[in-house]
Amino acid sequence: MGLIKYIAGRVGVYLVVLFTGITIIFFLPRFMPGDPIEGYIGRMQYQAGQTLSAEDVESLRASLRELYGLTGSLPSQYLGFIKRVFISGDFGPSLAGYPRPVSEYIATALPWTLGLLTMTTILAWTTGNLIGLFAGFFHNKRIATVLEVIGVTLYPIPYYILALVLIILFAYIWPIFPLSTTIMPGALTMQKVGEIFRNSFLPGMALVLAGFGWNVLGMKAMAYSTKEEAFVNYARLKGTPPFTIMIHYVWRNAFLPQITALALHMGMIFNGAILTEMLFSYPGVGSLIRSAIGNGDYNMIYGTLSLSIVAVATTALAIDLLYPLFDPRIRYK
Amino acid sequence: MRSIFRTSALLLAFLVFGLIVAGCQAAPAVEPTKAPVAATQAPASPAAGAMTDVGTPRSETLIFQTFDRQTANPDQHNPLMAYAQWRGFRELAWGYLWEMDTGTGKSYNELAADFPEVLNKEYTQFRVKLKQGIYWSDGVEFTADDVVYTLETILKNKDKITLGGARTISNYVKSAKKIDNYTFEVETTGPKYDFITVFGTYTWGANLTILPKHVYEKQADVITFRNTNPVTLGPYTLKQFDPNGYWALWQRREDWKRSAWGWMGEPKPKYVLYKDFGPEETRLLAFIQNQYDVDTFMSPDSIKAAQAKNPAVTTFSKTMPYHNMNDACPYGVLINQHKSPLDKPEVRWALALSLDLQSVGVNSMSGEFKASPLPMADTEILRPLYFEPLLPWLKDFALSDGYKPFNANFSPELAARLQKMGQPASALPQGDKALSEAFGVGWWKYDVAEAEKLLTSVGFKKNSAGAWLQPDGSVWQLEFVIPGDWNKVMQRIGFSMADSWKKFGIQVNARQVDQAEHTSVQNNNSQLQTELMWTSCTFTANYVNAWRTISAQYLKPANDTTPITGNPFRWNNTKAHALAAEAQTLPTDSARFREIGQELLKEFVKDMAWIGIMNIPTTIPTNEYYWTGFPKQDNFYSVPYSWWSSAREMIVNIKPTGKR
Repeated sequence: MGLIKYIAGRVGVYLVVLFTGITIIFFLPRFMPGDPIEGYIGRMQYQAGQTLSAEDVESLRASLRELYGLTGSLPSQYLGFIKRVFISGDFGPSLAGYPRPVSEYIATALPWTLGLLTMTTILAWTTGNLIGLFAGFFHNKRIATVLEVIGVTLYPIPYYILALVLIILFAYIWPIFPLSTTIMPGALTMQKVGEIFRNSFLPGMALVLAGFGWNVLGMKAMAYSTKEEAFVNYARLKGTPPFTIMIHYVWRNAFLPQITALALHMGMIFNGAILTEMLFSYPGVGSLIRSAIGNGDYNMIYGTLSLSIVAVATTALAIDLLYPLFDPRIRYK
Repeated sequence: MRSIFRTSALLLAFLVFGLIVAGCQAAPAVEPTKAPVAATQAPASPAAGAMTDVGTPRSETLIFQTFDRQTANPDQHNPLMAYAQWRGFRELAWGYLWEMDTGTGKSYNELAADFPEVLNKEYTQFRVKLKQGIYWSDGVEFTADDVVYTLETILKNKDKITLGGARTISNYVKSAKKIDNYTFEVETTGPKYDFITVFGTYTWGANLTILPKHVYEKQADVITFRNTNPVTLGPYTLKQFDPNGYWALWQRREDWKRSAWGWMGEPKPKYVLYKDFGPEETRLLAFIQNQYDVDTFMSPDSIKAAQAKNPAVTTFSKTMPYHNMNDACPYGVLINQHKSPLDKPEVRWALALSLDLQSVGVNSMSGEFKASPLPMADTEILRPLYFEPLLPWLKDFALSDGYKPFNANFSPELAARLQKMGQPASALPQGDKALSEAFGVGWWKYDVAEAEKLLTSVGFKKNSAGAWLQPDGSVWQLEFVIPGDWNKVMQRIGFSMADSWKKFGIQVNARQVDQAEHTSVQNNNSQLQTELMWTSCTFTANYVNAWRTISAQYLKPANDTTPITGNPFRWNNTKAHALAAEAQTLPTDSARFREIGQELLKEFVKDMAWIGIMNIPTTIPTNEYYWTGFPKQDNFYSVPYSWWSSAREMIVNIKPTGKR
């Protein structure tokens, strides 16, 4: 009964968060100063090198308002939006890429984002935490200091600079990786997998190095403080081998907050990596969000940000539901 | 627990393995220069030479940096909608009735056999004859059926077509009919004197892209049809494109001679690749490595850095300002003339005279710019038509207090300043004529004393902190909207202008905005005070496109929140309204039409209705490692822009260097 109540409570909060988040993102773009129709007309005005006549502007404006579904009052647009999103998951056409549906854009970009960011987040988390654990547990060893220094050095470097340094090193001075991404369309063959790997390596490496330092420092601090806890001292005095203490006593306790951080990072993956995508011409959701905001593309903003809200809320729910498995204290409660 | 370690170890091994695999790849071919100049990819074989990332021989591929970076809709190739304009469509794929020689501004026949025959004295009926022997890329002959079908499709789907050019056609054409396979007639909605440029090309693009009837008539809905594998008229066909919008590869047709512009000569590259090479930092590296041939809008600093590393990188001209300045649009300040205190000409003139344009150009563009005092770009085409005839008037023109604001020595002064700053004399044009052609006919004097006098005359005062106060005693806060990162050249110029005004005591809020907001501000009185813009684009003697809506009927109240439909200058000048109206009733090649243009320019200046700043500095460096013969000052067969019809002229005129 307690378990059902626990799950029902968490699922209830999850649904409220989803509804509130999606409601907020409906209204948020409407307060932005940019207007998708005026933005589009502005681009069209000069596309043929001929300023549109007043008549052209007027008729184009009316057509776009109709085609984009921006007619009617704000409440009626909101109700239509909620109905479409929650019943059919339809965000409508992209206003900047009309009539292509937003869902198609997301479907094309998402695998790239998921592939790159899942891999790099896990890599950065795993390596960072392992090194942090060693650095914290064996804090008085020279190697621990060296590892900590690496973490401290990498952590504050702005991502853009870090990525540019990698580009200059590995795509310019020693050009073993491409400067910008080029992946040929077609079936997924072994050759193509290699091509994807080669093109993704530098963007991935930049992301791993950028996330790595934070994980090292976080885990090192946790491991260091946990190893001074009474129950660890007790185990040490009982003669428990150091490696067993590190894994069974320190790591199991120190990594709990890191699990939460990992889960939240995984949720944030759906935001894409805007700077990575820009620097490496790498496909992904980040550039969709960037251009949607730049163009005032309401539907694209709704689609991409909803995805992000659902991902963060779902991973938070998953943590809530899975946490008792990691932490017996919660299970006990 | 062990499984976690195993997984971590596996991931690490994967990472290391990846490094080893990538590291084992052969190093790219390196040219024996001091710079780390590398080819795009390792040679497939010594005979084949370097290959591009898309698998074509580099020596047979012309590579353009894309104008629009990542396209938003990469599989949308339907010319009735947006996005089938860039990445080779306008340049290589579509055929137009009339094209424009970008060097002279003169129209020439492309699909049409001749210029249109005007069938009535009202200029509403036109007959057009087409060339014979032109074929679509799938082998079907191009005929009048295609043109008439296109026009009828546009008229029928008027309210669903989102492309601006098609919208213009839909409001321009009343009906169209086929006379025979190579002749059609059009009736327009009113007298039209710009038929050739509306149906053909004006500056970079055309309103009318002709559809292949045999493809489109099979579609259930021509609006949602994406035309992913387009049938085209140009000598290239789309071979492959990136579904994520970063590149598009075109291949020359075997039968290029019977394409829309096969008569121009052999298109030299077998392949043309449009590709985004990232932000300027990575583009610069790729350019140095000879990864592409033609750039678009690289900053002067980056061009200099590229040239220092790679001697194959060249600019349009060997002397300053180094770049071609013939774009149709000038940069200038759009002013909401309805809003106080900008409604007073004295205030607008004070803004012009307190702007130190030489410093602005030096700080933001390293002095590589061409000033224009008029709401028109001072191009090689427009200079003899409008600038030179108006020069005596500009020199004599005086404000109401008798002050003559024009500085005819602007260019020599700028050159002297640049020389003083360390520019060698060899990098500067020599003689007044050359200086004028390089840096412009002149600009307004930088005279803060006169600007102060003008502001004081309308009740302004300076407070103890040196800030200007309006007649009601409040501090004058001027909002100046400029582009954000999406137009870095304008962003730099905008901040530099704001700095100049701040030094004069105007409290300027230079607000950088995204593109959508920039247009919203432009079109909305309530949001506009001043904005750095490129409105007022004119390429030939025909200025109607830019000024046709200068009329009282499009004026709205100062703080109106509904978007405007015309008169972007918010200019309430009865004489100007009458002139703009009269111009639309005249043939664009008539003497009176040109005279009206000059009169309108004078009215603009008298009211300072738009503060013209400079021509768009089209900084387009080329890399001549694989291809040579690009348009340059000393080889000027077209403008050097890769996104205009000049791309066609470029493609038939360049030559391979033989390097592989």
